[in-house]
Amino acid sequence: MIKFDQVTKRYPASGDILQNVSFTIETGELVFVTGQSGAGKSTLLKMVAAIERPTTGTVLVANQNISQLKDSAIPFMRRKFGLVFQDHKLLYDRNCYENVMLPLRINGIAMSEASRRVRAALDKVGLLNKEKAMPITLSGGEQQRLAIARAVASRPSILIADEPTGNLDASYAADIMAIFHAFNQVGVTVIIATHDALGMSANHHRVLHLNQGSVSINPHAQHEDISA
Amino acid sequence: MSRWLNHHLQAMKSVLSRFAANKLSSFMIFVVFSVALCLPTLFYIAVDNLSSLTKHFENETEVSVFLTLDANVKSISDIEAKLKKHQMVKSVQFVSKGEAWQALQTKMKLDQYDADQRLLAIKQNPLPDAFFVQTHEVSIAAREALKTELSSHPAVAEVLINAEWVERLATLLALGKKLTNVVALLLLGVLLVVVGNTIRMQIITQKDEIEVSKLMGATNQFIKVPFLYAGVLYGFFGGLLALILVHGIVFSLNLSLLEITTLYESDFTLSMSTFDVTIMVMSVAITVGWLGAYIAVSRTIAAFSIDK
Repeated sequence: MIKFDQVTKRYPASGDILQNVSFTIETGELVFVTGQSGAGKSTLLKMVAAIERPTTGTVLVANQNISQLKDSAIPFMRRKFGLVFQDHKLLYDRNCYENVMLPLRINGIAMSEASRRVRAALDKVGLLNKEKAMPITLSGGEQQRLAIARAVASRPSILIADEPTGNLDASYAADIMAIFHAFNQVGVTVIIATHDALGMSANHHRVLHLNQGSVSINPHAQHEDISA
Repeated sequence: MSRWLNHHLQAMKSVLSRFAANKLSSFMIFVVFSVALCLPTLFYIAVDNLSSLTKHFENETEVSVFLTLDANVKSISDIEAKLKKHQMVKSVQFVSKGEAWQALQTKMKLDQYDADQRLLAIKQNPLPDAFFVQTHEVSIAAREALKTELSSHPAVAEVLINAEWVERLATLLALGKKLTNVVALLLLGVLLVVVGNTIRMQIITQKDEIEVSKLMGATNQFIKVPFLYAGVLYGFFGGLLALILVHGIVFSLNLSLLEITTLYESDFTLSMSTFDVTIMVMSVAITVGWLGAYIAVSRTIAAFSIDK
């Protein structure tokens, strides 16, 4: 489904963020990307989601080469993904319902169908009773759940979350992780970047650990890092 | 198709609800639009009315040829023959000084002007023989040529082209038309800047939404369309307001004109082709709105791309 082959990403100011990174993520997998802040987790996710292009190497998503996509094809590639950000990136000038509606409008879903899907997505994250509320009135955990509802409303095949629990206390974080697991259970490929062990210590999923620009696929190394 | 329609309906709806949410600022833009459109339209209507008035007079093709007081029978018939042969001349009417004198006296008696008692007292006929020539409809230059040609005859005292002042007025009106166009262009330039700037501000306040939409796979088209609609709708409502203003102003001017024209026993009123003016104002307004928005959108949205 997602294949990185000898990918290097270089920024003019900060040099190589990723060097010769290669890995494969299968359809339906749940993968954690770990590493200290600045290790290139966000950069890696951005390349998966066709937000950034690799400096060298190839990124294949659903057999399409991201680096060779035409500008006009990129929006359509991005619609395969649901994105969840650490800072939510919610729109605070509209209520929860309208926030979740945005990706459906972008996908050109007809109103009646879209409205059904918005409610289904809000229901899945337990916010159906808050559809008319403004995001600013929600707690941090609720805002992140709203962001997840928005990410999944258009039924993407890949869900990408960058530090989704970064700003949340432990009980909220566990909530959020449970939601991601639930989506993975129904066949969605889930990639989560995180710098903390919570939520992943209790499971047996693959971990891509980033350290000084290179990647190691080894959950045990991750545990050592965390304890260190 | 329905997806496309849906998107456009959504865009239109969101723009209208934004107008409703910012009533005062939207209304102010409509006012700027309407005033900027209203001024050149009124100029245009004024110039148009005056030129149709002069057109009416331009059809006057009469040239009056006054002979010298001592013109003899031979030179009269000489000139008459010359005029009748002339290719520009349609018809010639000769009024001898005797006929003219009688006509004048009759007229003065009928009108019973007190002051003219003195004129009646004049015993000697002061009037010259004259030809009243109807020319074919030719340019004023050709008529001028005829005038010079006739004036060269020693028995001709003066040649008057009746439509001469009309031609002068028409030249002035052409100047007026040019001025109207210049003013219109300047005001349209101002409108472009106003719309462009307003849309640019809107784009900046909706920066978050645009960025998030791009991350979710919105095409540039999807992002641009609502702003283009905003421009078009500014134009549409501004144009409507301008039409209301123009109609109101023309109506009130006509009321005042009525008082003046009654005094002059004329039935002149400012008239305008409502259809033409509506089409002109609305199409210009919508085009300018769209163009301003288009420029702003192309420049501003390109400036903050998430793909670096």
